[in-house]
Amino acid sequence: MPREPASLADVLADARVWKLKDASAAPTRPVWSTGKRALDARLPGGGWPTASLIEVLLDDTGMGEVQLFLPALVECQRRIGQGRTEEGPWLVWIAPPYEPYAPALAQQGIELGRLLIVRPASATEALWAAEQALSSGVCAAVLLWLKGTDDRWLRRLKLAAEASGALGVLFRPERHRFESSPASLRLAVSRGVHETRIDLLKVQGGRPGPVDLSSA
Amino acid sequence: MEHSAVVLQRLCMHAQQFTSFVSIEPPNALLLEIKGSLKLLGPLERLHADIDACWRRLALPAHSATAPSALAALWFARADQPVQIEDIAALPGHLAGLPIVCTGWDIERLQTLRAMGVARMGELLRLPRAGLARRVGTATVQDLDIALGRQFAPRRAFVPRERFRARCDFETEIENVAYLEKALEPLIAACAQFLRERQAGVQAMRLKLRHRAKPATCVHFGLASITSERRRLTDVLAQKLGRLELAAPVRGMELISGSLQPLAAGSRDAFAGSAGTGGGAGCGCDGVPQLVERLRARLGEDAVYGVIAIPEHRPEAAWRRVHELPLTSVWRGGEKRVDQSAGHGLPRPVWLLDAPLPLPELELELQRHQIGLILEEGPERIESGWWDGKGVARDYYIARQTPGVHRAPDPHPSRGADALQRTSAKLWVFQERRSKRWYLHGMFA
Repeated sequence: MPREPASLADVLADARVWKLKDASAAPTRPVWSTGKRALDARLPGGGWPTASLIEVLLDDTGMGEVQLFLPALVECQRRIGQGRTEEGPWLVWIAPPYEPYAPALAQQGIELGRLLIVRPASATEALWAAEQALSSGVCAAVLLWLKGTDDRWLRRLKLAAEASGALGVLFRPERHRFESSPASLRLAVSRGVHETRIDLLKVQGGRPGPVDLSSA
Repeated sequence: MEHSAVVLQRLCMHAQQFTSFVSIEPPNALLLEIKGSLKLLGPLERLHADIDACWRRLALPAHSATAPSALAALWFARADQPVQIEDIAALPGHLAGLPIVCTGWDIERLQTLRAMGVARMGELLRLPRAGLARRVGTATVQDLDIALGRQFAPRRAFVPRERFRARCDFETEIENVAYLEKALEPLIAACAQFLRERQAGVQAMRLKLRHRAKPATCVHFGLASITSERRRLTDVLAQKLGRLELAAPVRGMELISGSLQPLAAGSRDAFAGSAGTGGGAGCGCDGVPQLVERLRARLGEDAVYGVIAIPEHRPEAAWRRVHELPLTSVWRGGEKRVDQSAGHGLPRPVWLLDAPLPLPELELELQRHQIGLILEEGPERIESGWWDGKGVARDYYIARQTPGVHRAPDPHPSRGADALQRTSAKLWVFQERRSKRWYLHGMFA
């Protein structure tokens, strides 16, 4: 929504404005821990940034890729539910590849009564649903699984996430790795010999490169 | 008459001009409680005559009778005795003359009574209660008590099914959906007003678009929660109309509501503004019903759902989809999670397969002692459900793939052999204990 910025401070406080100079400083927006200390240490602020789009590139499932976000989802449901009520503690999962198993999520601490699963018929509808959910202002986090999409849609998702302060997570196949993406954080998840390998491809305000999870 | 239920419901509407309490007695009778109406519409003779006149106007050959108890009045009417009894003491004397057939009891009971030499109610009333109860059952004695007003028998009142229905016809045919939306506005406003007056809301609506030559187009739309808000009705209708391809120009349209449902307290517009001051716990959720509606209007009703965990040992039965979301409930931070399945020892996978996938290769390898899957944790024995025919006896393991043997079912089958080389997927597998077969049931994503 276009609106007149009151002052320079307001402009700088807007999540859509990326400040190159102090990018290494801790962002004022809240971050949510990934549950893995080695990964937290590599992310600016020490966790998943809210009000942004995170892109996860992976080709298979069963690598603990959702697990990377579950602690953050639990925390954002809890934290927002208690204090800041302007953002609703709802989670929306759009087009997950399999049936999300409710007992597992409950075991991890997810509030199932605040989880919405959306099964759109096509990729365009999935993107539309994601944009609706992100910009509605009632969702704390939106997770979206897609096979492919274009740059324009990703930009719209990113803007919606930044405007509403929600966490947007997009899972897509690894073949998109070398395409440009507006996401503020991109990581590739693949199978290592002993455990999951995480490569940070793009980190706004941080340093890309592989993450050594075994040291955690 | 096969439509007697429908006819009776229509007659109830007529009867409601005389009393607020009308009850249907299938198959062919109506019971009106008129005692409360006597002061306003009485005396009794006049009211009775008015009611009879009402049936005559409808060209209905009806019999009527008035008695201090509803059941007695029914019996008199069936026997075609248009009596008007006000005094309960006079009731047994009047009843005595009635044939027992008018009670509508089943044929066996009536035959038993006839064999006892009973043809009229008077003879029946003279019989000793205990003996009568033994011979034809206590239900008979109870019916007599109800008819004589000795026992109270509550009846269910007829409640009319009300709907909002409004139509508008256009002077010229409309081909543009945007104009339709504009034309719908007054209809929606009228509907919202109608609902507000009745303190009711709807969860489903129907819009009928009439064409000149083609059959009418019917657009159904559902709402995520019961509402009477104009804004939400407009919002959902606009979504539906936006995706509609008009088959032909529209000549007129009709907006029909689903059945009215009572509004939940506190969901009215009037209080929306003050929600921020009173604790504010609910105001963060204001947009969720709207979001769900918008998604459902475009993606379909079944495309948006929630999940719940069920305390049940069989993994496939331990969860369920829910389409009625607890959208209006206020989230309480300190509340204990009741649906957490705390009893499980081993962690559960994030993805569950719709049906367990057989792993035939694994069996072969186990036979050859070449294990392609490392069983990391387990077994967790789940043996349950023998009582409902869907029993399971399984040993569950958390397994990790070792190089080059297995992989999870591939959502992208186009990729080549390199996927085989990748390792360390965490899987949830089980061995059926009777057949010793292995299955994949979930993935730790």
